[in-house]
Amino acid sequence: MKMSKTGLAVIFAAYVLVPLLLGSNSYVMSLIVAAMIIGGIALAWALLGNLGGMVSFGHSAFFGVGAYVSAILTMKAGVPVLAAMLLGGVGAVVASLAMLPVLRLRGPYFALAILAYAHIFKILATEWTSVTGGSAGLASVPRFPTLMGFDLSSKTGSYLIVLSLLLVFIAAYRVIRSSHYGIALRAMHDSEDATRVVGVNSTLLKALMLFVSAFMTGVIGAFNVHYINFLEPDYAFSGLWVTLPIVAAIFGGYRTILGPLVGAVTVYLVDQLIFKNLIPSGHQLILGALLVAMIIFSPGGLMPLLRKGTRRKHAAA
Amino acid sequence: MNRISSKIGLVAAALSLHVGGAFADEILVGAEIPLTGSLARVGAGMHEGISVAVDVFNKTNGKHTIKIVTADDESAPAKAIAAVEKLAGDGVVAITGGYGSNNIGPASDAANKLGLPYITSGGVAENLTERGYKTFFRINNTAGYQKAMVGLLETMKVKSASVVYSTKEATADLAKDVEKELAAKGVAVTLHAFDPAITDFKPIINKVRLQDKPEAILMVGYENDYVGILRAAKVLKPKVKAMVGVWSLATPKMASDFPDLMPSVYGTALLPFPAEFQSEEGKRFADTYMKLYNKAPDYLGQFGYVQSMILFEAIARAADAGTLKKGGIAQELARTDRQTLIGRVQFSDKGDNLNFVHRMGQHQDGKIAIVWPADAATAKMNFPGVPW
Repeated sequence: MKMSKTGLAVIFAAYVLVPLLLGSNSYVMSLIVAAMIIGGIALAWALLGNLGGMVSFGHSAFFGVGAYVSAILTMKAGVPVLAAMLLGGVGAVVASLAMLPVLRLRGPYFALAILAYAHIFKILATEWTSVTGGSAGLASVPRFPTLMGFDLSSKTGSYLIVLSLLLVFIAAYRVIRSSHYGIALRAMHDSEDATRVVGVNSTLLKALMLFVSAFMTGVIGAFNVHYINFLEPDYAFSGLWVTLPIVAAIFGGYRTILGPLVGAVTVYLVDQLIFKNLIPSGHQLILGALLVAMIIFSPGGLMPLLRKGTRRKHAAA
Repeated sequence: MNRISSKIGLVAAALSLHVGGAFADEILVGAEIPLTGSLARVGAGMHEGISVAVDVFNKTNGKHTIKIVTADDESAPAKAIAAVEKLAGDGVVAITGGYGSNNIGPASDAANKLGLPYITSGGVAENLTERGYKTFFRINNTAGYQKAMVGLLETMKVKSASVVYSTKEATADLAKDVEKELAAKGVAVTLHAFDPAITDFKPIINKVRLQDKPEAILMVGYENDYVGILRAAKVLKPKVKAMVGVWSLATPKMASDFPDLMPSVYGTALLPFPAEFQSEEGKRFADTYMKLYNKAPDYLGQFGYVQSMILFEAIARAADAGTLKKGGIAQELARTDRQTLIGRVQFSDKGDNLNFVHRMGQHQDGKIAIVWPADAATAKMNFPGVPW
């Protein structure tokens, strides 16, 4: 897998410059971490849409299940936080097994069915009081540990964890997309029937993409619970965990790998740092107008728009 | 170029003068509060109380001046954390505000990490005080609502009750506590939980009417839930003697928005409506409220006022003792013992108000009358009485 010089520079800046320049400003760091959490879900959501042609309204189910599995494992079984986070992802994959029957559905039917699953998991979390704490939820969920003298629960520590997770997800997404499965999956996005005719087992591939997407979302949910240290069903399975990432993915360009991330960081940070300063309450208005403008003028999202801009510059040079 | 740099210099000098001035005279206090999102209405109500407290404190204290810096938490936990961190960056010495236990939990966690005292009246979940933080204080709790509900039913001498409650944390906690206490007193109680998303309460009310046949129906939910339950009850007309709710029910807003559903309905209320204050502090509070907002105060403003006033007084004591930045505010808050507009306030070592007891109000002729406890009552209880 080749990486461009710009890519390396961005990774270097993200690992070194951001903590050095902004590490002491916990407000900005907490906004960046929140934006990256949205970005992580947006990436997982876009993977399912781009490599499988499935539109999901139920990613909050994976987010919530991942969060609950990780929180419960650390609080009740004493599993170390970082291991529990990965098991949170596994928990989300197990939850997605229950969704396999709806893979036969397409388009809006699939989207609605998966939304119903999210609601079922929320009710389970509310009613299974002995394990989940019911509607009272779980408070004082363990924080990230201190590794070799470095406190991972600090703002910079949490940022580095979520950054590393996102980079691993991006790498996995790239590997899948460039493999021959990826070609089949992208073909399925345009016409599932045509790909089936040439012998692709589309249901199996869709199931595998659902697992990958669920795992990623579950791990991000688990990260969030150890970062916020608190969990309750309404919060864990909130519809915001799917609407905001969808907005971010579409804003950034959901058919590109980096689009959802760039979209999340732009939408969240610009909204919180600039628009909120301009209009302290009601700043979402500007964001809404910006989204409408983006969809009208660049339906492919921000990334294709940026690329067009740089291409024009090169041509002019 | 020179002109530009001299202008920049002038602006910078003006800014530094302004900042320097602000630090010399004013003590900054943060208000982390939902001004948008699902809790915007209650957040705005509490914020009005906070602003009134600032006005009254600055006029009466004479020595110290408080300035409020507000950050909207948008009714979301992650943004509540960010709001607290932003306020800390702005240099506040403590935080007043917060609404909803799910936002207060993470926000006060962040404040505790930063060593900032956090005082609230917006969340009654048990686990908030169970953390044992030395920086966390709240002036109300479930126990106070429970005492009021149970006390009212005792006065009514009812022998059976059905509790219809939302599965949300605070409501479920309260419903179960009330059930336990009533059962211990020999009252036959049945519980009916409902999902916060439902809007049609007829099936539950029908079950209560045909199966339980209680003397009173207790509603533990929020505004929309009460409206749904009362609408269903008005259609099905169960043979009960009283409809009793808790917070956000005995309010002027409910009386004016739903005049057909509210008559004789009970809910917790600290103030009658129109508000009447006997104490000097109460009169000053109501006058300032009227001056700033051109309306009579409600319970949200009253809670916001009390929590902020207690905090400002603790800040003033810590400033006098020179311990403002050395953990003095939390220590002074812990020492609080005074009569306030919601009764006497004293904190336990977990930061909970030991003396909090709510009052029960009843909708009577478009007004709110306090009917329990007897020593605070402003009118006789209309019992038995239902809206239909």
